[in-house]
Amino acid sequence: MTQLLQALINGVMAGTLIAVPAIGFSAIFAVLRFPNFAIASYATIGAFAAWWANTALALPILPSVLVAFALTGIVGVVAEEASLKRLRGNGALIVAIASIALNLVLENIVRFFFGNEMRGYDLPIARDIRFWDLRIGPQQLQSLGFAVAIMAAVFLFLRYTRFGKAMRAVADNPDLARLKGIDPARIAIATIFLGAGLSGVGGVLIGLDTTIDPLTGYRVLLSVFAAAVLGGLGSIPGAVIGALSLGIAEELALLVAPASYRTGVGFIAILLMLTFRPRGILGERAA
Amino acid sequence: MTQFHIDRRRLLAGSAALAAAAALPRVAFAQGAPIRIATLTPLTGSGGPYGPVMAKTVKAVVDEVNAAGGVLGRKIELISEDDQTNPEAGVRAARKLIDVDKVSAILGTWASSVTTAVAPLCWESKTFLCTTSGADSITQLPHQGFLIRTQPNTTLQGQKFGEFALAEKAKKVFFLSPQTPFAKSQFDNITAAVKAGGGETASLIYDDKKPAYRTEVDEVMRFKPDAIVFGGYTPDTSVMLKDLYRAGFGGTKVAFGYSVNQKLVESVPAEVVDKTYTISPSPAEGSKAYERLVKLIGVASPDPYTTQIYDHINLVLMAIAMAGDASGTAIKDNVRKISQAPGGTKIDNAIDGLKAIAAKQPVDYDGASGPCDFTDTGDIKDCKFRYEQVQGGKITLVKIA
Repeated sequence: MTQLLQALINGVMAGTLIAVPAIGFSAIFAVLRFPNFAIASYATIGAFAAWWANTALALPILPSVLVAFALTGIVGVVAEEASLKRLRGNGALIVAIASIALNLVLENIVRFFFGNEMRGYDLPIARDIRFWDLRIGPQQLQSLGFAVAIMAAVFLFLRYTRFGKAMRAVADNPDLARLKGIDPARIAIATIFLGAGLSGVGGVLIGLDTTIDPLTGYRVLLSVFAAAVLGGLGSIPGAVIGALSLGIAEELALLVAPASYRTGVGFIAILLMLTFRPRGILGERAA
Repeated sequence: MTQFHIDRRRLLAGSAALAAAAALPRVAFAQGAPIRIATLTPLTGSGGPYGPVMAKTVKAVVDEVNAAGGVLGRKIELISEDDQTNPEAGVRAARKLIDVDKVSAILGTWASSVTTAVAPLCWESKTFLCTTSGADSITQLPHQGFLIRTQPNTTLQGQKFGEFALAEKAKKVFFLSPQTPFAKSQFDNITAAVKAGGGETASLIYDDKKPAYRTEVDEVMRFKPDAIVFGGYTPDTSVMLKDLYRAGFGGTKVAFGYSVNQKLVESVPAEVVDKTYTISPSPAEGSKAYERLVKLIGVASPDPYTTQIYDHINLVLMAIAMAGDASGTAIKDNVRKISQAPGGTKIDNAIDGLKAIAAKQPVDYDGASGPCDFTDTGDIKDCKFRYEQVQGGKITLVKIA
């Protein structure tokens, strides 16, 4: 029982880390209708931007997260305008493939400037807090807090601001939105900024817990993609639910299967979901 | 604008010329053509901290030998590819090196998984392969002699890890490793050594791409180990060390020198990695070849793989000179004649070696990584190990034995 509870706690922790970039991925899919695999490099860029702010500028973590969000958002918009935008007319598959290429290019730009070495944030490390036979890390709790706050901010933004409403309108029906005078090009830019920025923040949250290197984002790409598919591509609450389910499923699987099969859980989740419910847990349209 | 017009006669003449060129014996071209040697090191991925220096070292030796007139009167042409520490990328790069560049030898494959994947391409195409990978299985492959390695195999390494844990008074030893070709033999040999001393062992193979290992660490802690041996690479080991610290593990930690390196020590908080022991095959520090390498590449203490690939290129160039032929088969048949000729002149670099070979002297190369004497299956016969400990953010030498 303790084991089960501990695995659940660990799963929620792991899930919230994946949820933030998964929201970014899903937001981009909702508006632009293609899976943007470059979010892996956006996560890496975010992690390095925050590392730079944290160690070179000696900023505390919260401002570093904001730096990461802004910088990654800008990188995302520039990369989109410079490369992916002109391919959008050729169908989702072409843009998706191009985004994989873009990911490679950006990852290697990071490598060019920072090298292959691992780096860690300038943060103290704390032992876990123990209660009943369970344990939980103060840092994980802090990351959990960040993740929840960010998710809340994204929900409020989409629900109550003009821009947020416009984004949802374009996601829902681009033609109708255009008739209402919403400029899809501006919405696309805003969405990319938000999606890339959130991926960047996700990279920071992962880096806080571990160390960062140019492959930081790439390592979690499958989990992020699986979470988004699980929750329903294009649905933002779905991405959160998908990420939490995936996190919990991966940790629970460890209790019954060898740890080396952990990544397999993500693949199996995608496979089962696409077979039995292709629109995902919360997705509206069948893919 | 001029128009380029091809009529039938010109086309025929051109084709005939091409066909004639193709029909010329290859030797006519080979005369004076460069000897092609490749490095296939991890420039990216987990091995990324090592590969670039390794490739640079080979280039430095090649430049030096070319400046001294090359080998057999031919220049050496070096082609460097990236295996990305990934077998699939390694195979693609090796195919290119073998099929397109037609290299005689490939040097420096680092991860055991990459070497295992690349080796069959090499022996089938009669290309010579020098590797720094440690998995036992590698020299057991049917490589027909087309492979040598300068890294001690995992039987030897596992035994050292087990004996060291026992010497640190550990009775319950846990082996924690991602899936690698050497994980099993490493664990079996640790177990053999620990059981012989009356202790017990357990192991967990984890997925090395995860951002946290909390549930895995819970499983480790249930075994209540006195010592943990880490079998992973740098990125996953750093995450694992952090999660073990959080879980309150206070026992002995032992890791490979290539995973708990200065980079790792600098990137995690000091208390996470403090007191961790590392074990690595020791380069022949203080030997003539080692001193020469330090001067050549300007790195004060080159890592073991750099010393090994330095030996690879020296051995290969001398074997070519000894054979009077640059083919992979010639290297295979002659490498032991220059690495361990009985009573041979002791040589520590290719330039001196090439002179000695030209003077018809027998040659016994002693390298920067060790004596470089090989068994028939391609393993090294002898090697020292270096025991170090992380103390207050610095990796400090404990002993070389």
